[in-house]
Formats: sequence, structure tokens, C-alpha cells
Amino acid sequence: MSAHLFFLLVALLFSIGLVGVISRRNLFVVYMSVELMLSAITLLFATLSQTLNSANASVMSLLTIAIIAAEAALFLAMIIHLYRINRTLDSEQCTSLKQEAL
Amino acid sequence: MMQDILLALPMAIIVLGAFVLMILGQSKKLPLEKLSHVSLLFLLLSLLIQLFTINSYAPHFLFAEIFKESFIVDKFAAIFDIMFTVGAGLTLLINNDYFKSRNYFSGEYFALLLFSVFGMMMLSHAHELISIFIALEIASLSVYTLVGYHKDNHLSSEAMMKYMILGALTGAFFLLGIALIYALVGSTSLTDIAQYVEAHNIQELSLVLVGGSFIMVSILFKIGAVPFHAWIIDVYHGAPYPITMFIASTFKIAIFAIALRLYLVDFASVNSFWNEMLQAITIITLFGGSWLALSQKQVKRMLAASSIVHSGYLLIGISSIGFGSDLAAAAVMFYLIAYFLSAAGAFGILSFIASRSSKQMTYDDFKGFAQRRPYMALMMTIFMLSLAGFPSTIGFLGKFYIFTSAIESGQILLAGLGIFTAFVSVYYYFKLVAMMYFYPSTTPQKVFPLNVSTVIIAMMALIIVWGGIGTSLVPYIPGADGFINIAVDAIKSLH
Repeated sequence: MSAHLFFLLVALLFSIGLVGVISRRNLFVVYMSVELMLSAITLLFATLSQTLNSANASVMSLLTIAIIAAEAALFLAMIIHLYRINRTLDSEQCTSLKQEAL
Repeated sequence: MMQDILLALPMAIIVLGAFVLMILGQSKKLPLEKLSHVSLLFLLLSLLIQLFTINSYAPHFLFAEIFKESFIVDKFAAIFDIMFTVGAGLTLLINNDYFKSRNYFSGEYFALLLFSVFGMMMLSHAHELISIFIALEIASLSVYTLVGYHKDNHLSSEAMMKYMILGALTGAFFLLGIALIYALVGSTSLTDIAQYVEAHNIQELSLVLVGGSFIMVSILFKIGAVPFHAWIIDVYHGAPYPITMFIASTFKIAIFAIALRLYLVDFASVNSFWNEMLQAITIITLFGGSWLALSQKQVKRMLAASSIVHSGYLLIGISSIGFGSDLAAAAVMFYLIAYFLSAAGAFGILSFIASRSSKQMTYDDFKGFAQRRPYMALMMTIFMLSLAGFPSTIGFLGKFYIFTSAIESGQILLAGLGIFTAFVSVYYYFKLVAMMYFYPSTTPQKVFPLNVSTVIIAMMALIIVWGGIGTSLVPYIPGADGFINIAVDAIKSLH
């Protein structure tokens, strides 16, 4: 399979993730969209490892997975915590820090 | 090898301290004050080693046979390291009363603080894109947690949520930028990238330019430049006061450390590509930040919005670098020192007041403050003068150098707009001063509490005035020209 198809897949996954972060209101879906973007980049690194014929990029994708895991731990903890406080995961409900009118 | 260990020791001590505090924090018997002393001890130890080694080495890579070119030690990184350690130390000292007055603080607070300082130090030393990303994540993840530290308060949790979602989003952009640059250059080391960029002309570098732009987006987000500023006021408002102080002064500087390194070393030969983009962002940051600051009622939110304006001034400096001003990089560095002192002081006073009451501090709450606490009001006035850029304070010299470099590089428009927003900023800073001095107080004058926080705040006010008018006649204490010499030295070590 040619690398171009993988690049196309990376672009698609990244865009889906970006659209998800921007348009969805449920915090859990937002979190999954961010993960999708980061995973797309991991795939990009893995593909680059193949095309550039170097192991460096594979190592980078492994490092990236570790960082994503750290972020996921914090994200999931935060989602559970917010659910306990608000009893909802709708980000539209979080409006207590609104800018007061001039 | 021995020398490398000595040079890496400041970072190692900080991360060791973080782990020690994580273990000590589990103990129920140790009071928080003891933990605060332990973390201060580690910070002090690290600071002492930094001060001893600062003049004793030439720029070189740390543990080159193991880490290749991942970490560099030079004067630039050393100066930033000192600022991070001092910033964290000041955060702990000034907020000595604050965390005793709130019951939600626990041992992990100190461990997280040290972890984020470690991340920032790693960031200023990093010389390779993946290490930069890892360092940035270590610092950011700790700061996200600290922002949401007041668990029962929905403001704090909401601030954390906003910061984290947007931070993770821009983190993804940063990583994409790294991947694109790697795809073209085949290496993530800044030396290799700089060589590659120099050897090719701009038509062949489209991937590096796109990747660099992605990285720039995420840096602009972290410093809160205007199209990416949505989080900044809410996060500063929702976070506990010590954390607001820490983000506003220390974390912001860390981002500029890496921005300067990337811009001056990595993309040095193509940075004219971003000139127009940076100019446009600078202009809307100055205007948007001023507008936001004018419309705030709470002092904490006003200071948050004004920090956007300060990012704007720093961006003037950065875009002057692109137009080939020699002074600009040192001017940015000097402005960072000046802003660090003034912002830490202003937020320090807020947190000092907040430790004695639980009010949301609006402008009205400051009415008659000068009668109640004349000395605190005086210091607050000094910090406000410095933030507004009034002559005889260090803030004035910072703005002076920034605008000089803008004029030197021919950006008269940016310099003019900068001066204009400086005049606008007089309104929202002096509104606070007017509130403090022009209204009578309902309660009688309180005695000046002589403790660690107030003494430190007073010292910072003195340094701000000394940095504006002081001379270098007193040995070992840098005066007004001493600070700029430090900045020039630091920038020189980059090349």
C-alpha cells in the first residue's frame, strides 16, 4: 500500500477530530475527538518511519502514545469530577465564568 | 561527564524534590507549612547551584553521548531557570498565608508546583522538538491540575475544563507541526533543522513553514494572543490566587523561552515569512486585550486581560526580531524580567488580601484601601505604575526598549499603537489607584502585618523601583543597566 493513502487517512482522522472538538458539546465526545487528533499524528509518525526508512519516527510515535496516556488520565479524572459537580457532561452548562456585561 | 552532572543538578534537584514531596504529602501528621518549607529548601538548593554555575561554562549539550542534542546548557536557559525557580519560590513565600487560610490545599500542591517548574526548566533547556513537546506537556499537565485545585468550587473546575480542552487541542497542533517538520527535514534536532532551513530556499520549505505555523499557533495560544485568548480571563479568574500568580508570571515566561529559541535559532533564516502574520496578530492583541481590560469589573479579571496586552508588547518585540532589529531579542528578555516582577507583585498583593477575606475583589472593594492599609496601597501603586509603564519603574524601561527596537526595525505603526495602548492601560490601572486613594475608608487603619509575604512583596516593589532608576554602583546588585546587560548576554549565548 502506498504511503499516500496513509497520509490521506491521517488528514481525514485529524479533521474529524478537529470538527468534533469544535462542534460537539458533550465533554466525553470532545475528549475522544482530541484523542482522535493525537492518534492521527501517531499514525503519521508511524508512516513517516516507513517512508523515511528510519526507526526514529517509530520511537517518536511510542513517546507520543505515552504522552497521550498521561493526558487521558487527567482528562478522564476531570470528566468524572465535573459529572459529580454538575450532574451533566454538557459543556453548555458550564457558564459560571461568563463575562459580565459592561 | 562530572561537569554535565553538575549542570543537570538544578533540574534533578527539582524533580527529586517533587517526588519527595509526593511521598511526604501522603503523611497526615506533617502540616502544610512543613511541606512548604521542604519545597522551598529544594528550590533554594537548585537556585544556589544555578547561581554558582551560571558564569562557568560555554554552551554545550547535556550528556551528549546519551541524549545527543536533546538538551543544551547556555546562559539563555540559565537565566530562564533562575526566573522559574525564583518565580516558584515567590509563589510559595507570598502565598504563605493563603494556603493556610483555605482548607482545600494538600501536600500534592507542592509536588505539582515543583513538577511544573521541572517541566519549564526542561523547556528552556530543550533543543529538540520532541523534548520540547514533552517538557511543555509536563509543565502544562501540572498547571491544568493546579488550576482545578479547588475541587469543591465549580469556578475552579470549570476553569480547568476550559484550559484543558483548549490546551489539549493546541497540543495536538504542536505535535502535528513537529510531524510535518520531521517529514521534510528527517530530524527533530534544532541544529539539523536550522542547517536544513539555511541550505534550502523558501520554495522548497513549504512543509517546514506549515509546521512552524502550527507550532506558532500553539505558542500564541499559550501566551494568550488575541485570536487564541478565549480561555485566559476565565482561567485566571477561576484558578486559586497562588496559581493565577504562578501562571501569569512564571508559566508565561517559560513559553517565551521556547518561542525565542525557536524563532532565533531554528527558523532564523525564514522568520521573515511570518512577519505580516505576526504584525496583524500583534495589532489585534493590543486592541483586543485593551478592550477586554477596560470592560472588567473584577481586579483579577482586569489583570488577566491586561496580561493579554503585555503579550502584545512582547509580540512587538518578537516581530521586530523578524525585521532584523539587534536590540529586539534582548528587549523581549528584559520586558519578561520586568513583567515577571510586576505581575508577581500585583497578584501577590491580591492573594495577600484574599487570604484575609473571601470576597471576589471588584474595584469597589478597594475603596479606601489606602486608609486601611497605607503601605500595601503604596506597593500596589508601584506595581500598577510599573505595569502601566510609568517612568522610574522597571516597566517603563521594558516598554522603552521594546518600542526602541520596533522603531529601529522600521515598524513605526506598531510602536505608535504600542504607545497608544500604553496610554489606554493607564485608565484601567489608575482606576484601581484612584479607588484606593480617593475614597474614605469605613474601617479604621490596620497595622502593617510584618510577616514573610509582606516583606517579600515590599522587596519586590523596591526591586521594581531600583530596576528603573538604580545604578550599577552597588556591587552584585544589577541596576537599570545591569538588567539589560544580563538580557544581552543571555541572547548572545544563543548564537
